[in-house]
Amino acid sequence: MSRLATFWVWLVFGFMYLPIAMILLFSLNASDVMAFPLRGFTTEWYGAILADGRLGGGFLTTLLVAFPVAILTTLFGAAAALALTLYPVRGRGLFVAALLMPFLVPRLILAVSQLILFKEAGIDRSLWTVIAGQSIIILPFSTLIIVSVLIRIDRRLIEAAADLGAPGWSCFRRVVLPLMGNGLLASWVIAFVLSSSEYVLTAFLSGREQPLSVLVASDFRFDLSPSLNALAVLIVLGNIALVVLAESIRCRSGRTN
Amino acid sequence: MRGLPGQIGTWLAMPVVAALVALCLAPLLILLAYSFFQVDFVAISRDPTFANYVKIAGSETYRGLIARAFGSALLVVAITAVIGYPVAWFIAKRVTGAKSTLLTLLLVPLYSGDLVRIFAWRVLLGAEGAINRTLMWLGLTTEPLAGLLFSPLATHIALTYNYLPFMVIGLWLAFESLDDAWLEAAADLGAPAADRFRRVTLPLTSPGLIAGGLMVFVMVAGDYLTPQLLGGASGITIISAVNDLFGTAFDWPLGSAIAWTMLAILMLCFGAGALAIRRTALVSEGV
Repeated sequence: MSRLATFWVWLVFGFMYLPIAMILLFSLNASDVMAFPLRGFTTEWYGAILADGRLGGGFLTTLLVAFPVAILTTLFGAAAALALTLYPVRGRGLFVAALLMPFLVPRLILAVSQLILFKEAGIDRSLWTVIAGQSIIILPFSTLIIVSVLIRIDRRLIEAAADLGAPGWSCFRRVVLPLMGNGLLASWVIAFVLSSSEYVLTAFLSGREQPLSVLVASDFRFDLSPSLNALAVLIVLGNIALVVLAESIRCRSGRTN
Repeated sequence: MRGLPGQIGTWLAMPVVAALVALCLAPLLILLAYSFFQVDFVAISRDPTFANYVKIAGSETYRGLIARAFGSALLVVAITAVIGYPVAWFIAKRVTGAKSTLLTLLLVPLYSGDLVRIFAWRVLLGAEGAINRTLMWLGLTTEPLAGLLFSPLATHIALTYNYLPFMVIGLWLAFESLDDAWLEAAADLGAPAADRFRRVTLPLTSPGLIAGGLMVFVMVAGDYLTPQLLGGASGITIISAVNDLFGTAFDWPLGSAIAWTMLAILMLCFGAGALAIRRTALVSEGV
């Protein structure tokens, strides 16, 4: 029974990593055709992608969006997480439901709604509208990450600080804030990753300046070339590295307590 | 701080609520308003009318697409439940040290982004793709299997791939709070393994099953890119119809009405799911 389950778990994890492993393999394969048999090793596909100026510009735009999005969602996520845990707000159930809304509403429906909103408000599409739209769909994720760190904080530390006469603000700044620091950092990194790979909403809300995801969307849709494959691998590996970094930061905060 | 934690909470929550209202609730309400408008040649007439909803209810195409979206969602919920159930059990009950590592490993592929994941599946499933070429190279087939890519099969494989982790997380939480003492008691009382599963494990993990199922259901029903890019002719979904009505067809009011029809059905499913979770929780307390 247990052995069968072990086998099944290996199979499922294999399924989850099969596509990533395949594109990685073919990105280093010296052939136009992405299939077996492999024809030898090359890095020429990566060279082609890194030399592409259009993609470089798109990447810069992605960074211009992802940095403010990561900061905004971490700030708002921290406020929401504190209002859910250490300083519980009245009507918490309703607050949780409101926070889940942007996650549960189908992405495309939220995108067209925001498109109408900005049009009605007379706001032209730009990187600002992308930043606003992305921030709201990433907010539930950053809140969840920061909550997961806050619920592990030993409340006796806060009580001790209060008993020793620390006023609310100084208790927050000198006890709570250092303890939640790792959560903020993890949230920032994850928000950055989610922002840089978001497509549907970004496509609807971006104007003339287009982030990388929108720029390469049509290539990804219609083209199936090894250099595009190399780009996909770079995106995947970059994201995985950041996510693993964020997770290790988040888990470390559990151990120091 | 101790005196007025509620008040501090309110001050903290206020900007968040303001942002949610401005960028999520308000847009959805404006969308609702638009669903009662009409397209009058190239302009939008703002006399409220139910015409769009009447049109949807009377259109076999739209009714069929809506039914298919929810049919697909149910199918993927069932598949992910069957695949995910043993995985969740294993992580919760058989793994001790590496729990968070395994959960992280499960979630990591999610962060690669929709487009890249779909691209990878196209590399794998295409007529010129890895699986077909490899099958031909091995001499197992002479013609590429045409049905692999651009088919409902491809769409559902990728949808399962996309949303399986959410199902596993829901089930894992349920297994973590499942007290093994119940199972031991049932075994001591002579219940065979099948009965223990059917009458103890399954009811006690059903809140997780429902929660994970709801998440998968909502996300599959609302998925736009996966069917579009992998489904071929079968890729026309109710969500892509909304996309077309906001793009080339330029009928925002009808698109809004379809979107709100979907939202209304999703909200009903959510209400039903929440009720079911509450009821199973009550039942399991009374076991």
